[in-house]
Amino acid sequence: MEAPQSPWAFSDKERVRRLVALPGVRRESLSKLASARVAIVGVGGLGNASALYLAAQGVGHLTLVDGDAVAQHNLGRQILFRPEDVGRLKVEAAAEALRRLRPELGVSTVAAPLGESNWRAVLANHDLVLDGLDQGLPRDLLNRWAVETGRPVVFAGAIGYEAQVFVVQGGRPCLHCLFGSVAEVAEDCAVTGVLGPVVGMAGLVQAQEALKLLLQVGRPLVGRLWLWDAFSGSTRILEVPARPDCPVCGAAPTAHKG
Amino acid sequence: MQLTINGEERRVAEVDTVAALLDHLRVSHQAVAVMVNGAIVARERYAEYPVKERDVLEIVRFVGGG
Ligand SMILES: [Zn+2]
Repeated sequence: MEAPQSPWAFSDKERVRRLVALPGVRRESLSKLASARVAIVGVGGLGNASALYLAAQGVGHLTLVDGDAVAQHNLGRQILFRPEDVGRLKVEAAAEALRRLRPELGVSTVAAPLGESNWRAVLANHDLVLDGLDQGLPRDLLNRWAVETGRPVVFAGAIGYEAQVFVVQGGRPCLHCLFGSVAEVAEDCAVTGVLGPVVGMAGLVQAQEALKLLLQVGRPLVGRLWLWDAFSGSTRILEVPARPDCPVCGAAPTAHKG
Repeated sequence: MQLTINGEERRVAEVDTVAALLDHLRVSHQAVAVMVNGAIVARERYAEYPVKERDVLEIVRFVGGG
């Protein structure tokens, strides 16, 4: 999609100036960032937060995937949306807000939920995927994509005062190694509640991990589960070994490094 | 018995399997990750996988909201 003309448009060179000085960041990685295609599946609390930072930091292209419309009760934590967006498609409202933030950003939108019928086509040609979902079944599909392509998927979840982030790269260990199938899991923020900044923080950790992976710096949370409990103010990181008998990533010769 | 659960030393009633421990702690068997001494235990094995004195366990609920 064409970026609208803006009198404030300026070069992405300025935008990445503070990245250049970071230890480990090479100039080649910056051009990788500018050409990177990232899919954000689910434009709720997680996707809103991660999209803001990825767009601002200079990621080339974002694909936003969500079939829902903005509801009033989203506004407490889904910070791209304004009251006047209520009733609009989330992907449309978010794309517009992100283009305002950075006119040079490439954005495409898929106004449908990720499901068995569309996941391969929707995720094709992306370097990295962020899980912004609030349901189990499509997370299993993202996990299959991670195992089949070897490309990174940054999983996350938040509910109540708790947040988690887990990265699958190179196909194993995968989300299934850790939790088994999550297809049946239905957690509802309407019942459990969620503190806005907790889900925002999980989204920002996703953006941070995505940038580390795209810039190839540091040690991403690959095979490590990051846990945040805002209620007690405690954080932990669990090393997750691959399960040799994992039905998704174990034994089958599917994973190739991407 | 004495166990380390999520980094904390805890005294719990005698249990012999992961399934019994989860039930004792009132933790659902669905969408939970259990590691015993660093190894992941598949859900299908909870009923048979042994829990012994001084084992180090991680029990983490899947957080699914977004
Ligand atoms: Zn696996």
